[in-house]
Amino acid sequence: MKTVATKKTKKSLESIDSRLQLVTKSGKYMLGYKQTLKMIRQGKAKLVILTNNCPALRKSEVEYYAMLAKTGVHHCNGNNTELGAACRKYYRVCTLAVIKPGDSDRSVPKQTGEK
Amino acid sequence: MGKFMELRKVVLVLAGRHSGSKAIIVKNIEYGTSDHPYSHALVNGIDCYPSKVIAAMGKKKIAKRSKIKSFVKVYNYSHLMSTRYSVDSPLDKTVVNKDLFRDPALKHKVRHEAKKLRF
Repeated sequence: MKTVATKKTKKSLESIDSRLQLVTKSGKYMLGYKQTLKMIRQGKAKLVILTNNCPALRKSEVEYYAMLAKTGVHHCNGNNTELGAACRKYYRVCTLAVIKPGDSDRSVPKQTGEK
Repeated sequence: MGKFMELRKVVLVLAGRHSGSKAIIVKNIEYGTSDHPYSHALVNGIDCYPSKVIAAMGKKKIAKRSKIKSFVKVYNYSHLMSTRYSVDSPLDKTVVNKDLFRDPALKHKVRHEAKKLRF
C-alpha cells in the first residue's frame, strides 16, 4: 500500500507541479471529491492527490477508500488554490485522481523521494 | 487500482431511510442496467437492530429483544460506504436477485434468507 504522508519542501512542490503538468497534458485525471471517489470505486484511479487544506474528514474518507482499492494517496504540500493552479484551472481543487499518467512517471512519491 | 465493492462486503448505507445501517452486498452490478444506469449493488441490511439485553431479563424478553429485521434494497455505489470487513456465509443466489422487487412474496422469502445470515 503506497499511502505516503511525508514532509515536502517547496522544491518538491515544484517537481509535483511539473509532473502534474505532464499528466494534465498527456494523461487523464479527475478533479474534485465526488469524481475521485467514483474513480477509486471503479478501480480506475492510479494515484490520488490531496491538498494540505483538504477537510480532515474528507481526507480520511478518501484515504480509507484508497486503502480499500490499494491506490496510492499523495498529500501534496500546497493548498487547493495551488493545486488548481498546478492543473491550469481557474478554480480551487482539493482532491485529484490520476487515471492515466500519460508521459509522466506514475509513482510521484517514489520519484520525489529519490530526488 | 482494485475494485473493492464485492460480494459479501460489509457496507454502510449513507442515504435514504436506512442511512447509518450496516448492510452486506449481495449482488453488485458494476456498469449499470437499463433501469439503473449507474454502478449499483443489491444490498441486504439491518432494518431493526437487536435491542440491549441484560442478565436480569427473562428468556422471553431476551428472545423478543434479540430480533433482527432486515431489508433488501438496491443502492447506488455513491450511497454506500464500503468497509474492510466482509461476511463469509453462503448466499442463496437463486433466491436473491432483482426480480424480487416485483413480487412481494418473493421479497418476503428473500428477507427470511437474509435473516438466516445474521445468525
